[in-house]
Amino acid sequence: MLWLALLLPELPLQVYTRSGIDAPLAVVAGHPHPCVIATSPQARALGVEPGQGVAAALAIAPALQLQARTPALETETLAEVACWAGAYSPRISLVPPDAVLLEIESSLKLFGGACAIADAIHEGLARLGLQASLATAPTPLAARWFARTRPGMNDALLPGWQADLDSLPLTVLADGTGVAPATLELLAGVGVRTLGEIALLPRAALARRQATAVIETLSRARGDIPDPQPWFQPPVQYAHRLALPAPVCETEALAFAARRLFAGLAAWLARRHAAVDQCVLELVHERHPATRVTIVSGDPCRDDSRLVLLAREHLARLELVAPVEELRLLADAPQAFAPQPDDLFGRPGQARDSAMLLLDRLRARLGADAIHLLDTRADHRPEVAWARKTATLPSASPFPSPFPSPLPSPSPTRTASAGAKRAHPKRPLWLLPDPRPLAPGVVTLLEGPERIEGGWWDQADIRRDYYLARGPDDALWWIFEDLDPPGAWYVHGYFG
Amino acid sequence: MSAAATALSSAAELRSTLAALPPGSVWQASRLAHGKGPVLSSGFDALDAELPGGGWPADALIELLVDHPGVGELSLLLPVLSRPPFERWFAWVSPPFLPYAPALAAAGVPLSRLLLIRPDATRALWATRQALASGGCSAVLAWLQHIDTAGLRRLQLAAEEAATPLFLFRPRAAARQASPAPLRLILAGAGETLQISILKRRGPPASRALHLPVRRLQADDTELIACNAIGEAPSSRPAPLQLVS
Repeated sequence: MLWLALLLPELPLQVYTRSGIDAPLAVVAGHPHPCVIATSPQARALGVEPGQGVAAALAIAPALQLQARTPALETETLAEVACWAGAYSPRISLVPPDAVLLEIESSLKLFGGACAIADAIHEGLARLGLQASLATAPTPLAARWFARTRPGMNDALLPGWQADLDSLPLTVLADGTGVAPATLELLAGVGVRTLGEIALLPRAALARRQATAVIETLSRARGDIPDPQPWFQPPVQYAHRLALPAPVCETEALAFAARRLFAGLAAWLARRHAAVDQCVLELVHERHPATRVTIVSGDPCRDDSRLVLLAREHLARLELVAPVEELRLLADAPQAFAPQPDDLFGRPGQARDSAMLLLDRLRARLGADAIHLLDTRADHRPEVAWARKTATLPSASPFPSPFPSPLPSPSPTRTASAGAKRAHPKRPLWLLPDPRPLAPGVVTLLEGPERIEGGWWDQADIRRDYYLARGPDDALWWIFEDLDPPGAWYVHGYFG
Repeated sequence: MSAAATALSSAAELRSTLAALPPGSVWQASRLAHGKGPVLSSGFDALDAELPGGGWPADALIELLVDHPGVGELSLLLPVLSRPPFERWFAWVSPPFLPYAPALAAAGVPLSRLLLIRPDATRALWATRQALASGGCSAVLAWLQHIDTAGLRRLQLAAEEAATPLFLFRPRAAARQASPAPLRLILAGAGETLQISILKRRGPPASRALHLPVRRLQADDTELIACNAIGEAPSSRPAPLQLVS
């Protein structure tokens, strides 16, 4: 087995800085005397350094943003990375506080070597807003130690790799192993500096000094005894959050930060062979209930750039009630999804994708009411002979046909009227939603009347005589005389 | 005499030099341009003959200047609109009235492809640009009340980039305003025909107005609509109705 250790040493800081929002930030921890444990580049430029007390740091840089270290958020972010890393290996193990292990031997051929995987991981992590150091080794412990001390990738299991372990410093033993700090102090006290020097010590003497854990750990790192890892199970629902280094009031900055969450969502969906047609972006405020932004896509999709685009449209028309402290992304209804295969001569569904994306964008910015299709209804009254229809493209069939598909059965009205041939009345292309009163002397009548009468069944009874008339500029108007009292002439449409 | 002879010979020389150049590299003002861009037949032979390339430019802003509704401004576009686009929209942005579904269906316009967008006045330009830039539309029809030259320029660029024609309806008073649109037509009613004056095109100025017999009167017939819905060939439609005066 070949293990790839993905180590995030700066995780306490990166959970805040990954949002991409520039702020002089210091992460503090410690009780009862909190001190700075990590600083952003902006804070470092101001002179704030790890190890300083909070009061000292604030004295140096009054504009400094302080955030308490949040181990829970770090664990969540690590789980998000593990979800995302499913694209590279099916076997993933979480090692809190700051490492994710991937078993990559089975993926080497697919990606073209460990270096190619490392490049892809670095690139992908950058989209999540994180930076990691990577290393490979045949055992999980050794991979983690190498990632911490000298990151690098090796494709093959070179014989004699254990010799590299000997030169590692003693401090690596403190990293997530069962070795007690007292034992490390003891070893340092007798002059041991590297792991290789431990192996030279007599085992019986070590065992007498309660240092058997050291021997066992070294054996696991060398692969002499097995070191089973608990596998990470990705969650069935996606719910991750992104803490912002400072409260944010501009929606543009929020849209930028939200990209990180959507990148994670896209990878999680890809791993599950799923897509979502709806997800919720929650903007968490300090003293107000969270603002929920529901992002709806017409087609199930797992393309993060498309979701980011829609989120941006929603955020652009949002009035923030209060500064935002945290973003949350929830997607609880993934659907099975098979992406369209790529074609040498362009993707067949491309036009459809852009048509659906246009629909989603317009809906997000203008509201669902502003976009619709038209439909006809079987009624004689012009006002009710049409209807609005929710805009949607018919679902794509695997073998798309450029011709409209036939209805399953002819409508009963058609069968009833099929035999009778009658004169076709004329209808205008433009209809006025509300008939406009007609001033006398504007038009000359050309043709008519055509009586349209009906509507007793739905309390919209009309009785009108319609005429074709010539208006100014030789325009053709559709006008009618209302036969019900008070009776008047109206314009109802134009033959555009 | 000798000066005139020199002028004649130099003109002949110029003509021969022009003829020797590779075709398309020099455009002479007396001819209609044959643009590299794709064109869309307008469905009217008389109009196609007057348009550069033989049809509507398929990647440009086309201004239609019309003052009164009802002169046949929509009927002019019916041949374009009744070619059903595959998985694309015909977007109508801010139409001034309601496009009447039964008449459109009778004219052969696929209603399931006709996307009606009604943004508020401030977002109409944005919506038009989105519809153009998305590449998800076969053609965009827009009615924008107030638009400045910079806005027109942006629309023309968006139309060019996405290779989508934009038919922009504006009042005739806009004819005085300069516009980056490569094609501008003034529409007016003239008896039973639609009179088209070409205000601007890539080519020599048009000398006379065109009179097109557009089909303004659409028969409303439930039977006919049902025929369209079940996908019979368009040829089963009756001949265009003639205006009765």
